[in-house]
Amino acid sequence: MRTRLGVMLAVCALVVAVAPFIGPPMPPDARDFILWQLRIPRTLMALVVGGTLSLVGAVYQSLFSNPLAAPSTIGTTAGATLGALVAIVLGARASLWGGLPLITGAAFAGALGVSLLVAAIAAGRNVRMNDLVLAGIAFSMAAGAISTGVQFSADSAELLTAMRWTLGHLPQVGYQNIVMLLPIAVVSVVGLLSLTRALEVFISGEEHAESQGVNVRVVRMASIGLGALGVAGCVAWCGPIAFVELIVPHIVRRVLGVSRRVLLPCSVVVGASFLVLCDAVARIIFPGKETPVGLVTAALGTPLLIYLVARKPS
Amino acid sequence: MTSLLEVSGATVRKGERALLEDVSLRVAPGDFVAVVGPNGAGKTTLMRVALGLQRPDAGRVTMNGRDVGALSPRERAAFLAWLPQRVQVSEPITALEHVAAARYRFTESHRRSEEAALVALARVQAEALASRPITELSGGEQQRVAVAALLAQEAPLVLLDEPANFLDPAQQLELYALVGQMWRSGLGVLCITHDINVLAHAMRTGSEGRIRVLGLSKGRVAFESHYDAPDLGEHLGRVFSVRMRAVEVENRRVFVGMSLERGE
Repeated sequence: MRTRLGVMLAVCALVVAVAPFIGPPMPPDARDFILWQLRIPRTLMALVVGGTLSLVGAVYQSLFSNPLAAPSTIGTTAGATLGALVAIVLGARASLWGGLPLITGAAFAGALGVSLLVAAIAAGRNVRMNDLVLAGIAFSMAAGAISTGVQFSADSAELLTAMRWTLGHLPQVGYQNIVMLLPIAVVSVVGLLSLTRALEVFISGEEHAESQGVNVRVVRMASIGLGALGVAGCVAWCGPIAFVELIVPHIVRRVLGVSRRVLLPCSVVVGASFLVLCDAVARIIFPGKETPVGLVTAALGTPLLIYLVARKPS
Repeated sequence: MTSLLEVSGATVRKGERALLEDVSLRVAPGDFVAVVGPNGAGKTTLMRVALGLQRPDAGRVTMNGRDVGALSPRERAAFLAWLPQRVQVSEPITALEHVAAARYRFTESHRRSEEAALVALARVQAEALASRPITELSGGEQQRVAVAALLAQEAPLVLLDEPANFLDPAQQLELYALVGQMWRSGLGVLCITHDINVLAHAMRTGSEGRIRVLGLSKGRVAFESHYDAPDLGEHLGRVFSVRMRAVEVENRRVFVGMSLERGE
């Protein structure tokens, strides 16, 4: 167990260290620029986004006692998509304060808006976890329907932009955007990790957890709220990057076990380096083209997860 | 200071139907209160009300005079611990982790929680199970680990909800022997069951009179008695709609249910 943990952390560190150098060869005169202005900011963005998304996935899976729970379960992704679409149709080039693209701001607002509605329902005394999943699905469908309506009124250029956005991508960002996302991600990650102990007690059921002293409603709302905050931040900048939040916690759980004290922090580390790796792979499969990283996460993560499930049935 | 759990006049309604009507009971450390009744009599509702998981529509539940609704979950956990019918974990955590999780109410390091969990496991002779995934244990072993969790919570009162429901006779006996030990160590026990005979495993000869029996039928208190009361059999028979005969076996009183029709 301890050696497995060590090996996993070493592999993650190695991936992150090597990733910026993977890609098409850099011409000597542009080397510094490509490395320091393009690849390293992208790697940093992937670290932040991958770590946050994976942790939120792990927390939601624990909270809902449901291996399929993900930020999309409670409507975060659908809300973000709706926000982004509205912004794209209104005029994607506009930017809000401080160079923040309008799409990013609108996606963030949409993601947070829908998730907070679900979190408000979670505050109810007699609400069951399945009710929340249903509410999330209902809100997702409503947001999806509105999105379709918005798309209907869009022209083809806007539709293409929207399609690209929904694939999930790591934008060519400068350090400024990372600085804007970082505090959101830090609040979400630190807040969620501080709930580890309560989530351990949740394993034997909500009512049992409450009888053992857990304030179930507070933990539920805090988990959903902090998770939604983190995911809204990530989705706002990168679009809905598929599968990371679903696959990474399952990989960690298969390799290192289900103990929350290992699963949650390791999901952050593994998720961060997994997305860094996917980004590096995206650079080399179609050199010179911007392959959306969402395609790579699905292409890499799915076989890995299936292999782990098939090898060690639980 | 004694810790007194008091349910007074608790009524819970679901639509027109009363799940619980005007039920009162008191449990203090050292008490053994058995709540018996057929399925659907309101035992589970009473349990949830006592734990503060459900608010009664009328009446109140107090812990040391303070309303449970006004207490935080942590304060309630310091007062009353709950042993469910069976351990239902959603993940294969180890027995040690399961017991250590019961220490949630304490503000302490993880190492301290694990030490206390090991002590609790040792008290139920389950140290050997500590590192086994709880999902791989037998039903009897799981309940033994659950009792360890109950002890690790260090509450003065414990609520047992048909804890032997899914156990075979040997495991039932073993579990109730543990319950008896907890009782004799000074804990107050509130035990919900539809099988009065399992209580015989928890007591030593001579302690029958100290076991209070509360019969529940259709949400109401049908009788209040003691395990050694001469008319307990009649009371039980009425609650369960059978004839109940008290029989002495190896100095222990057990009750046998007989069909009503072939009565004398």
